[in-house]
Amino acid sequence: MAKFTFTLNGAPTELEVDASTPLLWVLRDHLGLTGTKFGCGAALCGACTVHVNGEAVRACAYTMDSVEGGEVTTIEGLARGGLHPVQKAWIDQQVPQCGYCQPGFVMAAAALLRQQPKPSERDIEASITNICRCGTYARIKKAILVAAG
Amino acid sequence: MMMPRPTGAAVSRRDLLHGLAAGAVVLVAGRGNEVFAQSAATGGTPINALPINALPINAWIAIAPDGTVTLQCAHSEMGQGISTTFAAIIADELEADWSRCEVVFSPAAPPYRHPVYNWQFTGNSESIRSYHALIRKMGAAAREMLIAAASDRLSVPTTELAARSGVVRHAGSGRSVGFGEIAAAAAEKPVPAEPLMKSESEWRLVGGGRSLPRRDVPAKVEGSAVFGIDVKVPGMVYAAVASAPTIGGKLVSVDQASARGMAGVIKIVPLGGAVAVVAEHYWQARLALAKLTANWQPGEGGAFDDGALETMYRNALAGDAGWVEAEKHGDAPAALAASRGVIEAEYRSPWLSHAPMEPMNATVSVTDAGVTVWAPTQGVQMTQIVLANVLQVPPDTVTVNRMYLGGGFGRRLLADFVAQAALCSKAVGRPVKLIWSREEDIRQDWFRPAFLGRVRAMLAPDGLPAAIHHRLVAPSILAPVSPTPIKPGMVDGLAVEGLVEHPYKIPHRRVDYQMLEVPIPTMVLRTTGHGPNNFALESFVDELARAAGADPYQYRRRLLADDPVALTVLERAATLANWGRAAAGRFQGMAFADGFGSYLCQVVELSILDGAIKLHKIVSVCDPGRVLDRVNAASMIEGGVVWGLSATLYSEITFGGGRPRQANFDGYRVATLPDTPELVTDFLENRKTIGGLGEIGPVCIPAALCNALFSATGHRHRRLPLAAERVFTVYGKIFG
Repeated sequence: MAKFTFTLNGAPTELEVDASTPLLWVLRDHLGLTGTKFGCGAALCGACTVHVNGEAVRACAYTMDSVEGGEVTTIEGLARGGLHPVQKAWIDQQVPQCGYCQPGFVMAAAALLRQQPKPSERDIEASITNICRCGTYARIKKAILVAAG
Repeated sequence: MMMPRPTGAAVSRRDLLHGLAAGAVVLVAGRGNEVFAQSAATGGTPINALPINALPINAWIAIAPDGTVTLQCAHSEMGQGISTTFAAIIADELEADWSRCEVVFSPAAPPYRHPVYNWQFTGNSESIRSYHALIRKMGAAAREMLIAAASDRLSVPTTELAARSGVVRHAGSGRSVGFGEIAAAAAEKPVPAEPLMKSESEWRLVGGGRSLPRRDVPAKVEGSAVFGIDVKVPGMVYAAVASAPTIGGKLVSVDQASARGMAGVIKIVPLGGAVAVVAEHYWQARLALAKLTANWQPGEGGAFDDGALETMYRNALAGDAGWVEAEKHGDAPAALAASRGVIEAEYRSPWLSHAPMEPMNATVSVTDAGVTVWAPTQGVQMTQIVLANVLQVPPDTVTVNRMYLGGGFGRRLLADFVAQAALCSKAVGRPVKLIWSREEDIRQDWFRPAFLGRVRAMLAPDGLPAAIHHRLVAPSILAPVSPTPIKPGMVDGLAVEGLVEHPYKIPHRRVDYQMLEVPIPTMVLRTTGHGPNNFALESFVDELARAAGADPYQYRRRLLADDPVALTVLERAATLANWGRAAAGRFQGMAFADGFGSYLCQVVELSILDGAIKLHKIVSVCDPGRVLDRVNAASMIEGGVVWGLSATLYSEITFGGGRPRQANFDGYRVATLPDTPELVTDFLENRKTIGGLGEIGPVCIPAALCNALFSATGHRHRRLPLAAERVFTVYGKIFG
């Protein structure tokens, strides 16, 4: 067991957990934030995408050591009240089907728009590598362009 | 080599299901017209409890005094938008105020069973097409009961009253009464046997190009939607599972000391073909599972591999035994025997895993008072019966709460993963949430099997086929979910669909089918038999068109000349795709399907860039008879296109050492965002009956893409996925 201190969705957070526990399971099981999803456990699908210090990371393969002292933002804290522009675009475009992978896509898109506020379609294709088995990609692309304004 | 008999090979998993057939037979017996007799008795406590004071008018509709209407959705929400559209159909007939309607998932109970199969499940694109007439009638019946109650209240004849948006009005006096005020009286009114349904022109919520915002979308975007994996139950602990190293293998012993002293570990639970560790937290269970030392007995297939499977398929196809006639018109074999110009080809589709984004999981609490399940399941009744069988309890003591499904694609019709959770809960005396890793999700899948078929045809002097003869080898995909036994020597209706009863009325046609027994559990998967069979048929029709020197679109038009509805679908697709007038360097391919009660024509346009496929545009035109929600319908078709791209380009399960070689999305590849080209989707509504949309979308993609590829390269691909032949998209080749 090891103690970790970090900021979670703006709130100081401290907990003790086995040091090998991936950030994903700390969020889901220990902190009750289930918006971040388990899809592959190997950083392949992106369903668990969260922001650590502003960067999109895949929480299923992210160690707590790397979180220590940092700032973690999950889908629940993305907007801090109301909806993030990406979330608004997602609802406007009716993007989700089963919806399981969508929080990960929203987090990946939000991180992309922070770095590239006006991405081209090529930029989106190059940076959004999450997997959606329902096949919502066409609407995801459109929603990102809508969110970018 | 000879392979062992397969039915026993996966016995450990089939054990969990063996109560199904018997149970289903009991249920099939005698379901009368009890839907109308149901009124308040929904056969159990509704899963999502009705609002306080809500009065059931019938099994589908309850109305609270404040006017809130609660509508039961018989089906599971796995991305089809069914929880919105299904409820909207009822609300429309009821003349409810949509903004005052709540939707809940119905319990496992007789009123919600499929009207023909008498079995409650979500699958086979049945949710709308098989329930549409029933739930419209239920909505109309409730509306008439409300009007009858309003007639008493307002002391005017029912003929002078009309319901609209949650209110019954008397036009003559201007007086009105809200549904909530008369719900109690309405519930006491006799149930009309033949309620008058609204004409389609009076629909306000569904049809006519309308679309409603999906009820589940905001929560799914905010991260607050509760999927099966997100359920929290007081006192709940977690289980992680490892299955036998070979398919069908069984646990002989497990060293209890191997996880002793590890943090959080509560118990090691043997599960026959698998072993679970139950712990306070999921990751603790995973850590302990990795340390377990266990002895396994190999499955009856032993360390079989692709070579052994290939031999089985080849021997079956070449042999004379085991064939069953699935369709016969005229005498295709005789016609072909007499022909000098037989055109012949062999098509093969691969093994596929469902791999929904949410791995299999379930939360179960087994107590003396009963069994409670919270699961992402398509098989609510299957779950009830399997758990009753595994736990030896009466089915009605098993309450199944359906949560949102993170995809299903057929996999969640089964209840093997729920049974594992139930056994863990029973072992530790606490509610257990059991979660498969992605690796277990693929290893413990029931796969859509490979299809191997040989097709022979001859052309008449006009160039159209005079005779066609398919010989298809495929294991059963229906058996695990069929209420009646499906055995070799029988025709599996789902395995041959898409080849039989096809609108191409070729004079002599014959479909022979051989149900292969394999040491691997097999199962339906989105598109069922239509996927592999359409790849074979529509690629082959392209071959025939070229042999006849005809344009593939014009050739299909001639084949469908007697079916104006299908012809219109084809023509609309050709128009939208600008067929035959692609820009220089771009190539088109077309395919057509009749499946799940819907017609579909898709056109793929691509070019070749540095030896790789660059997809430009995919046109889909679908005729499902009626489109009830335009946006949702387009989502189903376009999502289907992506599913079809995965199946065409990348996805394949191969076997080695008695298990799948792939265990995660690195080996089991699927289409991603950069592979998705411009999608153009349109609908026609000329079919007489309403069709399904959940599974038709991917059906034409393999043939349409491979036909376009032939136009571009002159090479005919008869085996999927293309990655197995080292053919990639521009994006896909990066990962080779």
